[in-house]
Amino acid sequence: MTRLQSGLDTLHESVELARRHAGAGPTHELALIQFELALAEIGTNVLLYALPEDSIEPRVDFELKLEAETLTALLTDWGPPLHNQLTQAMPGLSSEDGRGLAIARKVLDELGYEREGEVNTWRLVKRL
Amino acid sequence: MDHVTLDVESRKTDTGVTVLAPVGRLDVVGAPALKEAVSEAVKDGQPRLIIDLEGVSFVDSSGLGSVVAALKQVRSSKGDLRLAAPNQQVRVVLELTTLDRVFPYYATVEEALTDF
Repeated sequence: MTRLQSGLDTLHESVELARRHAGAGPTHELALIQFELALAEIGTNVLLYALPEDSIEPRVDFELKLEAETLTALLTDWGPPLHNQLTQAMPGLSSEDGRGLAIARKVLDELGYEREGEVNTWRLVKRL
Repeated sequence: MDHVTLDVESRKTDTGVTVLAPVGRLDVVGAPALKEAVSEAVKDGQPRLIIDLEGVSFVDSSGLGSVVAALKQVRSSKGDLRLAAPNQQVRVVLELTTLDRVFPYYATVEEALTDF
């Protein structure tokens, strides 16, 4: 199993845990679907670009909180900066790639990115 | 060898339509398996292709990209592509990217086969 795949497994499993704690209901389910999608999109970027398969001591920190009907995920990595991609618009219908960040921006209540020194931190917020 | 996250089953109906049934997560890891199956399916003639999404638990932008690529491949061979049985997550992604305008999707494979 690749680091990418096992990293994505961890993200999906964390949303499944949140799903169990959030309670049932169609509104919650739609919000959870949207959050899981955004987390997978940002997580894929982080895992692909911050965590090359050949890096010796790869590290991505991940934290997911469900508080007061709000999901907040923090992804921290020590890879190259990615802020030049933040404002990417949704590409045309015939495009085969480039939708990831645009999707995340569209479905989240907040998408934050900070670069401090050598550290990238992504903050994803979705109200249920 | 990498663990495969997406298995793709392929069958041909009596009317010559190829039905591809991916099972698993159609994401950045799984998308190459679908692309490979589509390339195989469009080898001969004018392909009529249905992607049966019933077994797909989750799709991301890379997975969507593989479906867009499939449509281009099929249409360049003067064939056509239909999607069947997407779950709620897949429908949400198609709608928010407005790709539901490009892909007609059907509730079941049987419905997708009608007049195809």
